[in-house]
Amino acid sequence: MGAGISRRGFLRGGAAAGVALNVSFLPPAAHSRLIETPPRPGPDWLTPAGKPRYRLDAIAKVTGAKTFARDYRAADLPGWPQEQSHAFLIHATKADRSFQGIDLAVLGEALKPDRVVLHEDLVADGIRTPHPDFFGDVFLVPKGETPRLLGQPVALLIYRDFARYDAAKRRIRFDDSVVRYGAQTPYNQPPHYGASRYVRVDGGSPEAEDRYSPFKDTAIFGKFSGDKVVWPDAGEGDAMARGMAAAAEIERGIAAAGSDALVLKRSYFSQSIDASAMEADNGNVWYDATIGVLRIMAASQSPYEVAEVSAELVSKSKFPLKEVDLKVGYTVGYGTKDHYIFPFFCVLAGLYGDGRPVRLANDRFEQFQTGLKRHAFWMDNTLVVDRDTGKFRIMTGHFRTDGGGRANYSFSVSFVGATAAQSIYYLPQSDFSAAAFASRAVEAGSTRGYGTLQSMSATEMMVDEAAELLGIDPIELRLRNVFRSGMKNTQGAIPAGALRNEEILRKARAHPLWSQRAQTKAAFETANPGKKYGVGYGHVQKDYGTGAEAALASLEFDPQGRIGFRHVAHEMGPGVTTSQAIMVGEILGRVPDETEYGVVRWPQMPLETTDEPYTLSQEEEDRRKLNPRWTPRITSPMSATNSVYYLGHATREAARILVDLALWPAARSLWSRGVGGGALAPYDVRRQDLRLAGGMINAGGMPPLAFEAVAAEAHRLGLPSGVTVHTFNRWQWTEAEFDVPDRGRLRLSVDALALRYGEGASEERKRSMTTGGWHFLERAAVFYPPAQRNNAGVTYYAPMATLAEVSVDIGSGTVTLLSHHSILECGRQVVPELVSGQIQGGIAMGIGHALKEYLPLYEDGPGDGTWNWNRYELPRAKDVALWSQTAEVLPPLSESDPPKGIAEVVMIAVVPAIANAVTHAIGKRFYDLPITPEKIREALS
Amino acid sequence: MTIETKPLALTVNGRPVGPVDVPEGLMMQDFLHEYLNLTGSRMGCGQGICHACTVIVENEDGALREMRTCITGAHWFAGKKIVTIEGHADHDAKGELVGLSPVQQAFIEHFAFQCGYCTPGFVTGATVLLDQLKRKPVARAELEQVVTDALDKHICRCTGYVRYHIAVRDLILATPGLVSG
Repeated sequence: MGAGISRRGFLRGGAAAGVALNVSFLPPAAHSRLIETPPRPGPDWLTPAGKPRYRLDAIAKVTGAKTFARDYRAADLPGWPQEQSHAFLIHATKADRSFQGIDLAVLGEALKPDRVVLHEDLVADGIRTPHPDFFGDVFLVPKGETPRLLGQPVALLIYRDFARYDAAKRRIRFDDSVVRYGAQTPYNQPPHYGASRYVRVDGGSPEAEDRYSPFKDTAIFGKFSGDKVVWPDAGEGDAMARGMAAAAEIERGIAAAGSDALVLKRSYFSQSIDASAMEADNGNVWYDATIGVLRIMAASQSPYEVAEVSAELVSKSKFPLKEVDLKVGYTVGYGTKDHYIFPFFCVLAGLYGDGRPVRLANDRFEQFQTGLKRHAFWMDNTLVVDRDTGKFRIMTGHFRTDGGGRANYSFSVSFVGATAAQSIYYLPQSDFSAAAFASRAVEAGSTRGYGTLQSMSATEMMVDEAAELLGIDPIELRLRNVFRSGMKNTQGAIPAGALRNEEILRKARAHPLWSQRAQTKAAFETANPGKKYGVGYGHVQKDYGTGAEAALASLEFDPQGRIGFRHVAHEMGPGVTTSQAIMVGEILGRVPDETEYGVVRWPQMPLETTDEPYTLSQEEEDRRKLNPRWTPRITSPMSATNSVYYLGHATREAARILVDLALWPAARSLWSRGVGGGALAPYDVRRQDLRLAGGMINAGGMPPLAFEAVAAEAHRLGLPSGVTVHTFNRWQWTEAEFDVPDRGRLRLSVDALALRYGEGASEERKRSMTTGGWHFLERAAVFYPPAQRNNAGVTYYAPMATLAEVSVDIGSGTVTLLSHHSILECGRQVVPELVSGQIQGGIAMGIGHALKEYLPLYEDGPGDGTWNWNRYELPRAKDVALWSQTAEVLPPLSESDPPKGIAEVVMIAVVPAIANAVTHAIGKRFYDLPITPEKIREALS
Repeated sequence: MTIETKPLALTVNGRPVGPVDVPEGLMMQDFLHEYLNLTGSRMGCGQGICHACTVIVENEDGALREMRTCITGAHWFAGKKIVTIEGHADHDAKGELVGLSPVQQAFIEHFAFQCGYCTPGFVTGATVLLDQLKRKPVARAELEQVVTDALDKHICRCTGYVRYHIAVRDLILATPGLVSG
């Protein structure tokens, strides 16, 4: 693995040659329109000010309409048979013995499955796991081999009717006699997944050129010798050798630190958790061998990947395949349904369904047993602080993470954790490494936070302790070290825009929870014998996006001014369908009349991709981009907090281009009517005077125009009435130049553009609309961000701080969250209610991580099939300080601030805030999460 | 088919259902999903923990009761009148939605849910709470605690619960006769 990798950057789509891929987001003919929810979005869902009264998907969800993938049966899907089969998997619960087969005697004749599928069947039929370096080398454990991981499936059982399926599944659950094991063996885990290191030494100041950084030089990659990471030798040779020399210099600096410095060395542990998305993994697959069509209905955050990999999987087998037809409903996964193996087990079920659709749907025990987990992290940190100034000199962190028995995204989760570890601090010298280890644990993967919750929580707990040891107020210490705009991150890149952490710190310091905490503590503890009071602070900034964010969006209006909007985005819960429509309204002054999300057919955009955005060399990219239809990636999964900013960029660009090319010239035309240039001529009206709001178009004192009138004029003039764009971001936006008819060469923040012209367009112009009814403008030039940008790690951050107020019962060790206050900066809020909901929900998830949720990794862990929410405690309403919590969002610097992705950052700050609050309460520090009553009792004993 | 079955008849969302032969051990959740195609009462845990699967049972005296369908056998509901999430809103003769229940309306106006998987359970739980308060109003000072006590058993992973509970509190305050003092 060389340089140029980034988050979620490993899986290259490998569509099988000659197989048609059709992805759709449940057609309107299904029982409930999912994307365009009933009643049709129209004036009733908007206030007169153009703000939403409710989410676009609200009514479908609140009435229990079929919305989730899990809600659908074959009979609900147009063209599918009315009847269907049901399947379940039998799992291995031992990973230290060979698998010898299954014994279904417990089922008797009555519950005998109609079909049993074993590994040997798959081999005989030519079925192999696609991308074994990602999904593992086998689906089902081969007879005679030791399972790779706990909970690995050994057999697939298919029933033609639900009743016997249901009875059999309940009969087999928890029955240890079904899976037969042989002699004890060593563990059979795959090779470890990867190790990387990010070393930076500044040039003497934040502004000076770095002496070494990943962005300037390279990230460093290690190899494994057994369970030990072997890094390149230090030296003066290549960039990695020089990086190791820089790391050695940092180590010497730590060793040489004198009495004028605090050298704090601490080890932290962050546990494995289950994301516990309430919709468990599921899919329904119908394979018709007679025509070679594989129809899939599956829960997925990455539907295109599911379609492509399914095609690859089946086309290499004995099963003929001409077409994959994937339907996707709403789902929820917090990252765990992004590039996960479960949909492909569903495909297996469908292949062996004897021509009938087969539904494979986890119950909660199975979901714990096989669903992707958040990675456990072990972190060894060192912080060197100047005692006089309180300035950080050096921070290092060396992390190990357990990825379990399939690779998935473990490597990238590990290095995203490492690159986030600096949290909100400027570090003159830093050395963060991360190694992702394989084990027999249930597979860990993409999960909300993506490694950063673990590393930033540790940093925030460490800074709190450093402040105590230095005798400096914790917020004051943060202020002395805060990362300011224009400084470089630990990868050596300058983050986008203004960093407002200092503003947040000053607000937090002035908040009564903080400023009065000593008095409140004294009063509380006097009034509540047996309880201790504490306030803690946590403050993080989290990147959003993946470094290869691509999207497509289309806007057009008809002569009556009705606006149609189409986008690749689909709904995961945070409200993307609502916010994208509102963004259109902010620019066009009217929200779309018709929306279509999850659009996969873009005939007007004949793009081609190699889909290797992270690994393509600069030379190769320079060659590829000469093809005006080439793009590094067509579209991104719905993940990595990418919707409002990245997917929204396509929306905003389409809208802005439509204003520039159509609405502005059409409005000018109307204002210019009449002798002498009409009402426009006497005034000096400019493009920047244009205002679109409330369905009206104004500019510089001109007579207000209804949107409908301007749209009609644009059509009459034959101006562009439709704009489709493709966008690509590599920690920076791609720009391209286009020769736009009547406008000349324009440089736009997109890499592909198609236009549709109004009804009055000339015949010549209309003849240009030959690509799906649009004019695809081949770009004249394109400016992709340099490949070296991949090493920036991240450049887009959103910050969040939380003050947590707790009481600790010193008898029981119970922590009660009394209140919390959060401060978020997210640029410009698109729909404040959705932002607020994200804050509240993220905090609850963070509370669970800090205080409640825990999974053992191995034999007693979820792989044993006995875990459910009875013993895995999720935060409930009474745990979250529901009625006393508050939050504030910094106002944007101006109305032109971009909106920032926040779905992950909102979850994190509360974790160290609680840990620091418990310390303030009882005077003990905790280095292992979660902080359970048992640990507190032990600390107090 | 060798599964033992027996006939089941009940009233679902005002309509008589059955008698239909149903396996003796089948859970009500699976009866709703697989036999009636009513999938809104969601499978969350299958253990009676999360309450995503609940439905309303109308008692003889008209009082409403919330029941978990994932751990209650379908035959327990024999002869009973139940309301699933699909039965809360008003529909016209053609099946078109014409109006939401007050709880549903409150939830959408408060942006109470995100993914919405748990929403049917919250609608059910809140509806039962309102019914209880009609019979026995709550003192204003106790309202927030009563709301949270009633809904605490419902698990949500997206929202942090805040908007659900505030929506119910505000609806109770806006509904005459539910709050005393």
